[in-house]
Amino acid sequence: MKTKPIMHGYYVFSPATRLFHWNLVICIFLLFFTGLYIGNPFFIGSSGVEPTYAVNNLLSMENIRYVHFLAGYILMASLILRLYGFITHKGDRLFPKFWTRGYWDGLIDTQLHYMFLRTKHKPYLRNSLARTGYASVYGMILLEGVTGFAMYAMIRPNGAGAQMINPVNHWLVDEYMVHVIHHYVAWMIMLFVIVHVYMVFRADVMEKGGETSGMISGRKFYEEEPVDHRDLGE
Amino acid sequence: MDQLGTTLRELFEKRNLSRRTFLKTCATLTAILGLAPEMLQDVVAAAERKLLVPVIWLHGHECTGCDETLLRSQTPLASDVLLNMISLEYMDVLAAAAGEPLEEHLQQVMQAYKGRYILAVEGAVPLEADGIYCMVGGKPFVENLRQAAAGAAVILEVGSCAAWGGIQAAKPNPTKSVSVSDVIHGKTIVKIPGCPPIPEVLTGVIMHYTLFGKLPPLDSVGRPKQFYGNRIHDTCYRRPFFDSGMFVEKFDDAGSKAGWCLYKMGCRAPEAYNSCGNMRWWNGLSYPVQSGAPCVACGANNFWDQDPFYERLPGIPVPQTVANADKVGLITAGVLTLGVAAHGAASLIQSKKHAAEEEEKAKEDEK
Repeated sequence: MKTKPIMHGYYVFSPATRLFHWNLVICIFLLFFTGLYIGNPFFIGSSGVEPTYAVNNLLSMENIRYVHFLAGYILMASLILRLYGFITHKGDRLFPKFWTRGYWDGLIDTQLHYMFLRTKHKPYLRNSLARTGYASVYGMILLEGVTGFAMYAMIRPNGAGAQMINPVNHWLVDEYMVHVIHHYVAWMIMLFVIVHVYMVFRADVMEKGGETSGMISGRKFYEEEPVDHRDLGE
Repeated sequence: MDQLGTTLRELFEKRNLSRRTFLKTCATLTAILGLAPEMLQDVVAAAERKLLVPVIWLHGHECTGCDETLLRSQTPLASDVLLNMISLEYMDVLAAAAGEPLEEHLQQVMQAYKGRYILAVEGAVPLEADGIYCMVGGKPFVENLRQAAAGAAVILEVGSCAAWGGIQAAKPNPTKSVSVSDVIHGKTIVKIPGCPPIPEVLTGVIMHYTLFGKLPPLDSVGRPKQFYGNRIHDTCYRRPFFDSGMFVEKFDDAGSKAGWCLYKMGCRAPEAYNSCGNMRWWNGLSYPVQSGAPCVACGANNFWDQDPFYERLPGIPVPQTVANADKVGLITAGVLTLGVAAHGAASLIQSKKHAAEEEEKAKEDEK
């Protein structure tokens, strides 16, 4: 009979980041599906009703856009929470450290494991591949925010928001291009979500470290000391 | 040339037009310039005192569509604009003269009003092969432009070709056509894009400069704010249908007949900055969206490469076909989901195998 190994908990995620994460989940799903409708209104809103009244329908373009903008604002505001976690807690700061050897070793290690060429990868608080993935998804979210607000601000072309952000519309060729980029990046974020959810469940099944619950409790569990444990400063 | 050195007021007097007509013209001008009604007095005062500014109009790589639209200018009438209000000194397509005498005239005008004339440029500037793709008077257009620009007080880029490069700059841009502001630097340049621009917008800008001696307020890319400040989408009379989710699906469906929103037909109005929605064309008669055709954002940079025009988003060139972003996204997401599922299954198998091996090893170790 094999004895169950003793697992040690590491406090990785601060409450701010956990709250941010689940807020992000809700917002991104809302944004993605309302965004799909805004890009291509695929169901008939109303017929036989004057637009004066139809605009009040639950799923009118007006309301769907309202949800989209609201979710966008909430997401952007919640970045403040994330920033707070980033500043106050070391575990919220797991950068891809391109400048260290550990990063590249870890990259190869996890890559080989995911390609079935290595039966196991070393224990990490967060492996290099994941670090890179999260950094890039933050980049994508920021890009969505910037392009989103660049379009949104132009509702009032002489307003303060438009004054600040309108140059973005011209850097990226023209405002139409901004719509296109916003749309494509939204799909890329969705593709990330698929891989992310899979990877998390996979890690939970394979390593039994409480990867999923980690985003609720803040703790992840390891048999051996994670290679990058120093990033927690413990 | 007789308009030079005269004011608008004197012109009206010379033509025996009443003071009433003059004041009515000033009121119209005030409205077109986007000024508050209280400004009428200032416009009248300026029209009585300010001398008309000579305009030189050059043609580059273009289709003369902007001329066509200028001739259909209604308020003020084209004949008025050309003969009275602006003093159009050189425009090759409308001049009675042609050939050397006309080119000679251009040289004289440029000399006589050096530093004072408005240079209106219509058309892009082809640069490939030293500009030989557009020759005017035996010289590459780019040379004519440089010469004329040197003495200009203000340069107007009339139409999308002059402002952005236009249709001849579409991929792969064989003539290497560029906008006027890509070639001319260090001058005050106003963009009046559109394919063609609304004629009242053009005359409005010229009159603003004539009356007040300065340009109207410009936006961050150099377009006059009062004409390019709003999206067509936000001034569109079909907007309530957009907000309600009532869209034309096909050009011959009931929604199209009922005048619903053309968004799904590829209308670019949400990205189009122009005055079509409020000023409209042909004396306020109509504009593309009103006639049932989706806007193509003809005043926007690069609009010519954003095809297909009758789809909301440009196509993604997939071999053999052009796909739409949502379809590509959906298929990729599907494939990816299958991929991760397969990867997950493979991982489980590998892990089981590994565990079995470990156990085997442990057993052997015990022995």
